[in-house]
Amino acid sequence: MLELDELSKRYGETVALDRLGFAVDEGQAFGFVGPNGAGKTTAMRIVIGVLAADAGEVRWRGAPLDAETRRRFGYMPEERGLYPKMAVGQQLAYLGELHGMSDPRARESAALWMKRLGIAERADDKVEELSLGNQQRVQLGTALVHEPEALILDEPFSGLDPVGVDVLSEVLLGVARERGVPVIFSSHQLELVERLCDAVAIIRAGRLVATGGVAELRAERAGRRWRLEVDGAPGTPAWAARVAGATPLGNDVYELAEDTDPQGLLDAARAAGPVTRFGPEVPTLAELFRDVIGRDSEREAAR
Amino acid sequence: MSGRRAIYLTSRREVREGLRSRALIISTGIQVAIVVAIVIVAGITGGDETNEYDIGYVGSDAKAVVDEARSAASAFDAEVSPREYADPAAARAAVDGEDIDAAIAGRELIARTDPSDTLTSLLQSSSREVRGSEALRSRGLSEREIDAALEPPPLALVEVGEGSGGSRIAFIGSLLLYVAILSFGIAVATAVVVEKSTRVVEVILAAIRPVQLLTGKVLGIGLLGLCQVTLIAVAGIATALITGSVDLPDSTAGAAVLVVVYFLLGYLMYAAAFAVSGAIVSRQEDVQSASAPLTILLIAGYLVAISTIDSPDSTIAEISTFFPPLAPMVVPGRAAQGALPAWELAVSIVLMLAATVLLLWLAARIYDRVVLRMGAPLKLRQVLRLAR
Ligand SMILES: Nc1ncnc2c1ncn2[C@@H]1O[C@H](COP(=O)(O)OP(=O)(O)OP(=O)(O)O)[C@@H](O)[C@H]1O
Ligand SMILES: [Mg+2]
Repeated sequence: MLELDELSKRYGETVALDRLGFAVDEGQAFGFVGPNGAGKTTAMRIVIGVLAADAGEVRWRGAPLDAETRRRFGYMPEERGLYPKMAVGQQLAYLGELHGMSDPRARESAALWMKRLGIAERADDKVEELSLGNQQRVQLGTALVHEPEALILDEPFSGLDPVGVDVLSEVLLGVARERGVPVIFSSHQLELVERLCDAVAIIRAGRLVATGGVAELRAERAGRRWRLEVDGAPGTPAWAARVAGATPLGNDVYELAEDTDPQGLLDAARAAGPVTRFGPEVPTLAELFRDVIGRDSEREAAR
Repeated sequence: MSGRRAIYLTSRREVREGLRSRALIISTGIQVAIVVAIVIVAGITGGDETNEYDIGYVGSDAKAVVDEARSAASAFDAEVSPREYADPAAARAAVDGEDIDAAIAGRELIARTDPSDTLTSLLQSSSREVRGSEALRSRGLSEREIDAALEPPPLALVEVGEGSGGSRIAFIGSLLLYVAILSFGIAVATAVVVEKSTRVVEVILAAIRPVQLLTGKVLGIGLLGLCQVTLIAVAGIATALITGSVDLPDSTAGAAVLVVVYFLLGYLMYAAAFAVSGAIVSRQEDVQSASAPLTILLIAGYLVAISTIDSPDSTIAEISTFFPPLAPMVVPGRAAQGALPAWELAVSIVLMLAATVLLLWLAARIYDRVVLRMGAPLKLRQVLRLAR
């Protein structure tokens, strides 16, 4: 398990992280989401050790993370970086060695990953001669070449075409499932995060807003949201206002206050007309995100 | 992984990429060619060439003198070609018309106004010898006795001080050190900023510590520099030995060793500073202005070195010997001219070592704090604050 415990970081006046904490299980695909400037990059840099936290601790398998362990992690920074004039194969082998592999093993692993990432025939080309998408594949290779114990990827999907997204998704899920490696990645593509991830952390302004399994988080919200369609009466009907504890959210979705019986809502609707559809509404991750971020900023404003 | 392996890997990368770079190989080739050319040209224009004299004569007595001069000429670094004239007037006209350099007719040596000392002393001593042996022969001395009387064993020559070879080596040595420290220092600064501007440094620092990356880079590029300096020094000395164009003074070998030693110390000290100048900027365009103070110091060292070539004992040369930023360009030149007492050399090396260690330590601290920082170039004051 990789644990972030009460991480704090300031840049002068800006609070980038404010006692941020969450945990990632081994073998999990873990989505790290939050609006621009929320602190995702800052947190990932602290985990990988290129940035020092002002306070807090990162633990791996229960012990504080040290440089020697971090070297066995794989990292893809938000700002991609490769040696432009170095050949692709050499670059991957070099990084394998820097991360502790022997020379022949690093070369072997570089060749393997170039094949898996579909850039085997570019092995001897300089990186600067590759297209941006292929450079991105090399970049991913640098995070994977040394068979890392954990993967920290900052927006790995940005800039990829749909095929590239599929290739990358498959690789990441493969690494997580087959080798039991925790794969943490940040992304703004919430549909993708919902599809790939077992668990997520949602942060805003350096603070954790929600974390947990994707399915659980969605189901948790579902308990209070219901979809109810009345034949011939789209839009928000007048009867709904009379149901105590029900708030229309639009598009035939109602949120019920705690301890409100959904049957009361149904009864009121049936009095108004024939009900064609009635059931719990499971929000998508994107909806959940907007919801919790919105609520969090309201709370912030109220303070 | 041990720190030593991280340093080995990063320096190996620098060496490999350097050897693949056409720029480095071309610049090495050009510098070897320049040094070889300087040595050869020095040989052609130097003072060792032989003078050729066309000497006219009138009559058999004069012929004997000219023949004697011809055989004695080599001792004067000269060659004599005799030419016969029918009468003194013709010989005089030939001298006047610059057909010949001088002529002997009877008891007269005919030459243009202000003849060269070499020429007159050659001809006068030849004349004296011919007349002397005639006089002795007429007294009935044997040829052996005459030779013994006229050609006593020559005085043994004892040379004191350094010839012009020392100052030529000093000139080449200072130039070589100045060019090498500057170009490899700039190479370090550029390599550091390239890693920053391409952002690859973040990928590297996820694997190793900044001080390891810095050390590997300085050592790798330094190794390339050491090879280049050694190659150029060896090429220059080999050319001098093969063509015999420059009389190498005895201090040459020592000076060559000092060139290599001071390259190492000077390079390490400057490379540390150049690495910082690369780390405090984010764009390659800014390297030049950030490293300008270092470049100026190097140029100053070079100027002191060439301006004290003819006065290696001067105060400014002595002070520079004890001032590490200037010493690398100045010390090997002074040594080449035999003007460097051993204690000054020892003190200079100790000071260089101390300055190098201090700068490497300081550079590691600063580099560690600024290498991941992007944005506007840092001011010197900010940099020093970071080093605390
Ligand atoms: N080097 C820096 N100097 C000053 N402030 C910084 C620095 N890096 C980040 N910040 C600030 O810290 C906060 C968090 O930034 P961070 O880059 O971690 O956000 P993020 O979640 O990765 O955003 P994005 O989704 O846009 O990548 C922001 O307010 C940002 O302005
Ligand atoms: Mg970011």
